[in-house]
Parts: sequence; structure tokens; C-alpha cells
Amino acid sequence: MKNRFNITLTVLVALTLTTSTVASLGSGIYNLIPLIIMLIALGKFLLVAFEFMELRKAHRFWKYLTLFAGLFITGILGIFSIAS
Amino acid sequence: MNQAQLTQEQEYKSIYYPPGGILLWIIIFLELITFGLGLMALVYYGRLEPELFHQSRILLNPTFGTINTLFLLVSGFMMAKAVHSFREGERQISIAFIKWTLVGGVLFLGLKSYEYYDKVTSGIGLDENMFFTSYWLLTGFHFVHVLVGMVILLWIMIKMIPTDSDITQDDLASGAAFWHMCDLIWLLLFPALYLIF
Repeated sequence: MKNRFNITLTVLVALTLTTSTVASLGSGIYNLIPLIIMLIALGKFLLVAFEFMELRKAHRFWKYLTLFAGLFITGILGIFSIAS
Repeated sequence: MNQAQLTQEQEYKSIYYPPGGILLWIIIFLELITFGLGLMALVYYGRLEPELFHQSRILLNPTFGTINTLFLLVSGFMMAKAVHSFREGERQISIAFIKWTLVGGVLFLGLKSYEYYDKVTSGIGLDENMFFTSYWLLTGFHFVHVLVGMVILLWIMIKMIPTDSDITQDDLASGAAFWHMCDLIWLLLFPALYLIF
């Protein structure tokens, strides 16, 4: 359990620093960077929910509801932020 | 894993007993819906005025946002360790981890307050434009949630100090769930406000 928390924090910090790096990249013809940033945010969201909040031990209803909520919000933000 | 932990794990499998309690999770989802709608409104208006939102977004400091994200993540780690320690019967260690959780909260609020001060002295208020209206409202409400979370954790920690404390694992888990909710919301706010426009 202790190692699990340590690993989770390490991954979260790495993803946070990765987000900052990705955000500083220049845009191409198809600016997918907002979508990539929100996908990384989804990963962090789920890691906190499933590991720190111990949702992985919960009934599948709460797991799927949390997954759906995270996916829906970050998906909407990512997709509608892509420059047209 | 001891018998108490096994019992706890079995209870968490019940739909009526998620970690932290069903009431907290109802609150968590209501908050996610509320902030989610606010963020969707942000994105909607961002598509109407993309250049304005871009020019406004670059007035924010993403380094500060990244540092604040790290403060909350480490704070969440400390909170998870506090719950785990309490479950292992290590009450004093749990109290220490709660203290470090609160330190993370103080650091977050401190940096956020500096950002607010910077914006106010630069004349960027609630009615500057739609982007900053969203910024002030979303981060302001989040600020209040973090403050409330700290009050809850401080109260729990103080109640845990006496050797005959009646604070239960469920009490601590509920407080922890509220704290992690603040983290979840910030993980959505930070990229939406500081990075994607």
C-alpha cells in the first residue's frame, strides 16, 4: 500500500510536468494540444480517484460513474478547445 | 492485512458504502457537475471569442498553476497516507500526515492569494471579460472549498489528539474524501484555465 501511494504520486508529478511541457509546444495545422492536455488531466483525475480515494476498492457503480464523469468533462473540454 | 482491514474492504464493495461514505460521494458528484458546467460554459465562450480568451489566458502564470497542482497532489498523497496510517492503528503518524496535508493546503492558498493580489493590482477584476469572470468565479469557489476542507481536517486532527478520541476511520475517510475532491476539481480547473486557450 505504501509503495502504491509512492508510485501514484511519482506518476502524478511526472504527468503534471509532462502537461507543462506539452502546453509549451507550438501548434501545428491540427492543434490537438488541448485534447492531449485534457487527456493527461483525465489520467491524473482517475489516478487520484482510484488510488488516493481508494475507489478501486469500491462497488463498480462508483468506479464507472467516476470514469464517466472524468471522461465526459475532459472530453468536452478537450474536443471543443481544439482550434477550428 | 488484518481482520479490520478485510472487513473494511468488504464494506467498500457495497454500493451503499463507497470509501468516505455515500453522502460525501453524492456531494463530490454534485460539485463535479457544478464545476463541470462552469468549465463547459468557459469553453463555449472561448469558442465565441478565441483570440480574447487566448490573450487573457496568457496573462495567467502557468508556472504558478503547475506549482499549485504539485502542492495539492503532494497534499493528497499525505492525506491518503494519513488514512492508511489510521487504519493501521498508527494514530500519531496519522496526525502527522494530516499536518502535512494542511501545510500543502496553506501553500496552495498562499500562492493563489498572491495570484489574486497580482490580478487585483493589475486592475483585472471580475468584469474584465468573460474569461476572467470565469477565472475569478471558478478559482474563487475552489478557494472556498479548499478553505472548508482545511477547517474539516483541522477539526478532525484536533479531535484525534486525545488518547480516548472517538474519531472513527469513517470520520477520517470522509474528511479525506472531501479533501481529495478539492484536488479532483483543481485537476480540471488548472488545464482549462491556464493551458488550453
